Amino acid sequence: MINYIIRRLIMVPFLLFGVTVLIFLMLMALTPVERTALYVRDVPRNERVLQGIIKKYGLDKPWYVQYWRWLFGTTVTTTENGVTTVEHVGGILRGDLGYSRTASQPVAELLARRFPASLELTLYSVVPVIAGGILLGVIGAVKHNKLADHIVRIFGIVGWSFPDFVFGLLLLMAFYAGTGWFPPGRVSDWANKIIMSPEFRNYTSLITIDALLNLRIDIFLDALRHMVLPVITLAYLWWALTLRVTRSSMLETLRQDYITTARAKGLSERTVIRQHALPNALMPVVTLGGGTVVGLLSGVVIIETVYNYPGMGAAAARAASQLDVVTVLAFVLFNGLILVLANVVVDILYAYIDPRVRLD
Amino acid sequence: MAGTQHLLEVKNLTTRFHTEDGVVHAVNDVSYTLNEGDTLGVVGESGCGKSVHALSIMRLIQIPPGEIAGGEVIFRGRDLLKLSDDDMRKVRGAEIAMIFQDPMTSLNPVKTVGFQIMEALMLHKGMDKASARERTVELLTLVGIPEAAQRVDDYPHQFSGGMRQRAMIAMGLSCDPSILIADEPTTALDVTIQAQIIDLVKRLQHKFGMTVIWITHDLGVVAGLARRVNVMYAGRIIESGPVKEIYANPHHPYTVGLLGSLPSHGGRTSARLFSIPGEPPDLVGLPPGCAFAPRCQYQTPRCFKETPSLEEVGLGHTAACWEKDKVRRV
Repeated sequence: MINYIIRRLIMVPFLLFGVTVLIFLMLMALTPVERTALYVRDVPRNERVLQGIIKKYGLDKPWYVQYWRWLFGTTVTTTENGVTTVEHVGGILRGDLGYSRTASQPVAELLARRFPASLELTLYSVVPVIAGGILLGVIGAVKHNKLADHIVRIFGIVGWSFPDFVFGLLLLMAFYAGTGWFPPGRVSDWANKIIMSPEFRNYTSLITIDALLNLRIDIFLDALRHMVLPVITLAYLWWALTLRVTRSSMLETLRQDYITTARAKGLSERTVIRQHALPNALMPVVTLGGGTVVGLLSGVVIIETVYNYPGMGAAAARAASQLDVVTVLAFVLFNGLILVLANVVVDILYAYIDPRVRLD
Repeated sequence: MAGTQHLLEVKNLTTRFHTEDGVVHAVNDVSYTLNEGDTLGVVGESGCGKSVHALSIMRLIQIPPGEIAGGEVIFRGRDLLKLSDDDMRKVRGAEIAMIFQDPMTSLNPVKTVGFQIMEALMLHKGMDKASARERTVELLTLVGIPEAAQRVDDYPHQFSGGMRQRAMIAMGLSCDPSILIADEPTTALDVTIQAQIIDLVKRLQHKFGMTVIWITHDLGVVAGLARRVNVMYAGRIIESGPVKEIYANPHHPYTVGLLGSLPSHGGRTSARLFSIPGEPPDLVGLPPGCAFAPRCQYQTPRCFKETPSLEEVGLGHTAACWEKDKVRRV
């Protein structure tokens, strides 16, 4: 088992390397002028100045040189008013992802602000999605064709078919416009002022946790209030999917011979389901779960737009709509990283559940 | 307990399945008795109801679409069909154990073999993990698995087919059941392994004085193992009696056909293999009368109207055929 984990982890740098190569290729499809955004804030219009910048940062060099510099940064010499400064700039491995035209800040900063928002939403959505989806899927399978199963299936289909933005807007209308309980956005203005002030210590960038750590229950509750609707909308879709996959996988598993053997031993039905059926039935759900979490983490554009929630999805969408390629590619790179890691986790979980996988 | 009480009495067991295509009459009016220490073979082709009748005894039939429509299964004086679910669970595994045909699919692939045996021990014998583990290693050694102490933590896919079946036998025996029902345990194995497994069961039976019901379609297996045999066709027992007697003097045309289908050693190698003409009946909507009549060379009009019941043809030997006196081994 340890061997398996080590082997999977060794793959990670190679996979990441592959991701960077792909992103880089896309980057190289841009002109050198467009790529100056990797290094400068305001891309000048003046042709001569532009060329100067391109030369300075080596944006006209051969692709392998540029790839190296893109990863590790460039040493640039600037002479201004007789003063010559040499500095090392750029390099994604140094944390410099370029400058976002649409967000008017370095991409890395944008990511650092937006990712925790998406992460927080994900964390609160994952539990109902996975726990609820699996639980209901199992119930549906065990009570196959009885009333409980029919109810579960209806939930599943409605959840999957209902467009999330319609659902989101309906919830907003009912619970915000109607009752004012759950407002859009991430926090109220008054709470935001406090968070931005120096007294509020930023431990995790997750507002709910930070609020508790700062002993501000009012901010904690405020943040929670804002998250209720987006979490429900977000969770509903994925929960329906998890439910359906669990149910069909469970139905399939319950037909297997070893379930009859387990019953023949005199085990209670509960034990049969929990010890024998569930581990086998969960395998496709684990695969699905990995994808679900990645999807949630990359931010869901529609939900974030409907609720005006400042997550990664909305930022990426805005950058894309304005052709801010550098920003979009940085987001893709980040998502690639999450995906690679999520897959490793899924693989390890798989090996934990299914011993046949470990001997590969 | 009176010495004359049977260990198991099956009386008029009838099991049906309600499917979209109609009602499948899988087991029809099956009755027999089993005494302690007996080895009973239940023989018949696929679909004759031999497995279903065993699953009915264990109450492992999925209800719905299945239905145990009638009869009694008296085990040590109690009708198993009337027990509560909880009480039945105490019987399963502990007093009557069942092992199945394909050990690859009958064992849970994601749990160790040891765990699957220990479960039963911990449940029925109340053992703690350590003692259950010890006993499991003993059992695995008993069934002939080498290096049992290491193998106990292996998974089913790490065992060969024969080893897996031995492990299943160990699982079946673990709680010292009174009856072991073996549902075609050697069908999925090579012939040489088959012989080993049969040999193992015989030795264990001898050692523990166990009562065994061995279900198979293979008459050769029955000959090597059982003392009495029930021949089943279309959900009914059509002949029953001591193995030697039935093989020497079958009184039902189907039994004759089965025996005739066995390739013989001494015959001409170019002789065609004999097979019973026709096909087994559809168990949905069985017509009245003897189910074998359409394929039978002794058929009479009566056979199509009245269903024959088992009647004595010899000592402890019964057959259900209107023409049984005319039937002779070919």
